[in-house]
Formats: sequence, C-alpha cells, structure tokens
Amino acid sequence: MMDARVSNADYAIQQQYRSPADDTPARRTSFLSRIQLKPNLVVLSWIAPVLLIIVWEALAQAGWLSPQVLPAPSKVLRTAWKLTLSGALLTDLGVSLLRAAGGFVIGGSIGFILGTLVGFSRIAEALIDRSVQMIRAIPFLAVVPLVIVWFGVGEGQKIFLVSLGVAFPIYINTTLGIRQIDPKLLELGRVQGLSTLQLINRIILPGALPSILTGVRYSLATAWLALVVAETVGAQSGLGFLAMDAREFLRTDVIVLTIVIYALIGVAADSIARLLERRLLAWHPNYGKGGRS
Amino acid sequence: MSNADTAVTVSALTRTYGTRTVIDRLDLRIGRGEFVALLGESGCGKTTLLRALAGLDPIQGGQIDAPGRPAVVFQEHRLLPWDTLWQNVSLGLPGSHPRERAAAALVEVGLGDRLDDWPRNLSGGQAQRVALARALVQEPRLLLLDEPFAALDALTRIRMHVLVKELVARHQPGVLLVTHDVDEAIALADRILVMRNGTIASEHRTPVAGGSAATRDELLRELGVATDLQVA
Repeated sequence: MMDARVSNADYAIQQQYRSPADDTPARRTSFLSRIQLKPNLVVLSWIAPVLLIIVWEALAQAGWLSPQVLPAPSKVLRTAWKLTLSGALLTDLGVSLLRAAGGFVIGGSIGFILGTLVGFSRIAEALIDRSVQMIRAIPFLAVVPLVIVWFGVGEGQKIFLVSLGVAFPIYINTTLGIRQIDPKLLELGRVQGLSTLQLINRIILPGALPSILTGVRYSLATAWLALVVAETVGAQSGLGFLAMDAREFLRTDVIVLTIVIYALIGVAADSIARLLERRLLAWHPNYGKGGRS
Repeated sequence: MSNADTAVTVSALTRTYGTRTVIDRLDLRIGRGEFVALLGESGCGKTTLLRALAGLDPIQGGQIDAPGRPAVVFQEHRLLPWDTLWQNVSLGLPGSHPRERAAAALVEVGLGDRLDDWPRNLSGGQAQRVALARALVQEPRLLLLDEPFAALDALTRIRMHVLVKELVARHQPGVLLVTHDVDEAIALADRILVMRNGTIASEHRTPVAGGSAATRDELLRELGVATDLQVA
C-alpha cells in the first residue's frame, strides 16, 4: 500500500498544471519510445526465466531433484492436462474466480463509496477516515481466526477476507484522486456555470480516474492474496482446497500446479487492469498510445 | 449609454481581506463592443476586480450589474485534459447541437480540423486559442481576460492580439483585459485604466497611430517605471 502512495505522488507531479510555455510537443515524447533497442531488451528479459525452467527440468530428469520436493515442469504440465480432462481443475478454478470476483465487487464498492464521501467532504473525513485508518493498520491476515469464528469456514469467510483486502487500496486512491483535482479546473467549472452534478461528472471523477485505477490494480493483487489464505483454511473446493488436498497425498505436482495457476491469474488480472488504464486514460500522456508500455 | 449597450456596470464596489481593503468603492462601466485594458502594479487589486466580476469571489459592498454570465479566459488555458477539444469548448454550454457550435467556434480560432484531438497535443498558443473559443461560444456580453497572453512567446502573443481584436470586433462583447504589459494595452484597448490603491487612478483613451509613444511614457511613469534616462 505504500507503493500505491508513491506511484500516486509520481502521478501528481506529472499531472501538475504545467504552464503552456512548458508544454512543447518535444518534451512530451516519452523517454522510452526513443529507445531503439526495445525489442531486443524484451528478448533479453526472457532468457533468465527460460533458462531456469530448462535447468529445473534437466535436474529433475537426471534424478537430482526428488519428485517429492519439486516435480519436473513437464510432470506439472501433464498433471494440468489430466486434471483439466477430469474437469476437477476447471471446477475449482471457477469457484476461486467467483469468490475473488464477489469479494472484489463488495469490497471495491465499499472502498469507492467511502473514498468518494471522504474525498468530497471534510465532515465525512472527520467521521470516517480515522476509523478506516485504524482498521487498515491491522494486517488483514491477522483477523483470519476471528473471521472463522464469525463465519465458519464457508463462503462468507472467504468473501469477507477478499472484500477487506480490496476495500483499502480503492478507498485510499479514490480519496487521493479526488483531493488531487486541480482547484483551478474546479474554478473553471464554476465560471462555465456547471451544476454540482456536472462538476462531478465532467471534472472530479475523470480527474480522479487515474488514481482510482491505480487502486484497482493494487486491490486485484490483494484480492488474490486474500483468497489464497482464505482457501488454505478449511475449504471444500477451489484452488486452495486442491493444493491442501494434494498435500495430504504428497502430490507435489498438484501443489506446484496450483501455485503456477495463482501466478498466471495474478498476471492476467494485472494485464486487464493495464488494458483498462490504456483504454480509459487515452487522454493521459503517460497511459495513452505512445506512452508507457 | 443605454442599458442595452452596457456590458457591465460597477458601482462603489468594495472588497476587503480581513482589515485590508483591496478594492475601495470602485466605479466602472464597460459598453458592449468596448475593449478596456486594466493596468496596475502587482497587488493593486486588478485581478481581484476581475475575479469579483467573474463571480468567483464575494464582495463586501457596492454592486455589480452584468446581464448574463461573463466568460473568462485565464492566464493558464485550463483545458480539461480528459476531454477532446470540442468537448472542452462546449463545457457548460446550454442549448442544442453543442458539437456543431463548438466546431464553429474552433473554426473561428483556426483549429477547425482538431475537433477530436486531445489538449496534450496542443502548443501553448493553440491551447489558449481553444480557451478563447470556449469563452466566445457562450456569446457573453462581458469577456474577462486575466493576462491570457502572459505565458506565450513574443511572436505567438502578437498573433493572439490580432486574433482577439478580430473576434471581439465580430462578437461585440464588452472586454476587460487585465495585463501588466503597457504595449499590449495600447495595441488592443479602446480605453486604458490605471488602477492604484483599489480605485481607478486614471483613464486614457488609446491614441490614434503615431501618438502612442507619449501615452506609453505617461503610462509607464504612472506605473512607477522611469523611462527617462536623465532621471538617474
């Protein structure tokens, strides 16, 4: 969450009202787009991970790595294929994704609504912010035992934990985004005769959007983390259950498979968030085409 | 001056910050189509006057009589970076066909081919032209210009002077230009006011071509700038 703040500070600096004289097209060309070596760098960046997998496979094939400790990548792939054919993998994956989505929607809505209230109103801030910050200070995994007492080990517990993890990044970044709006633009809105509703629609929400989307990206990562923890504690289905069940039978290949799937979904979620940023922030020099990769 | 010809009438306007009086019982009248420049040293209250006329600050005394909402062009362009140019120009514009009307205004400032472009692709001068279109599309009776050319380079500024003069002649709003540039005031205005201690200290009709050097020296002297080298 500290990272969320840092990246927002960066954004604030970029977003600061530059005087028109500063705003020459030459300065707006991003540094990255001028680097000619970029495609080669992409290839270079893949060498180490690919090499690592080859070495891992070789060590496993040579029998230097016990399958109980770390099964070969090829073995994990075969397991993935078998579990897919039997339908078990897709069912558990679906259950996990539903839980993540449910928690994301609930926690995200709460974070967004509270963040909007606090961003707009100093009175709402006085009433709400201290409590939220106090709850945020608790590492949310520390409340797992309490949540199990409240909800048992059913769906409620899992969705609650995900919601809790999601709400804070969205809350903080929504508040920050609204507070960062250039007061000069709000003044312009008044001069142009905008109503309060128009002011919110045309100036405040679009201006806060980059920050809100940063919050979405961070909360996707937390949602996933919360889900892993929640499913590891007494689940009857889902990816975490698959891993825990495999542990009972020392099926290291299934455990590694679930870890890989968790990683892949994390990457996919981040890509979706980035795509959203590029679509919704086409106007922004750092997100639109020709900007950040 | 009949009422229909008046863009704004200000009588006994007073604005105070705590115990400090920034505008002190100021009277001013600007006719439609009249271009008035307001000169003054920093802190003389000229921007405060403009903000009061724009309805951005409350006033403590007196009266501002302006039919309709005045339009303002600020020193910074204040374009919304997330809106395209035509959306920026039609911001807060009542009535139908906002895109067509915004397009017409953008044609007038020479940016008719950039309707769907983003503000980030504009140079400083172009951005200020969009801001001008956004003000004029509302057909205001009073146009307030708060040092709108101060951040532009010299050549761009001269081009903007020509454009503004042309547009004001066509749309006939009353204009109040706040500036600290004496030459700009002489180039654009029909009437130049010098503000000091919260009131209008003096008033000058802009001279016809040739007589401007004397006016320029006089204005600079009033603003506390010595133009005569022998003074030292």
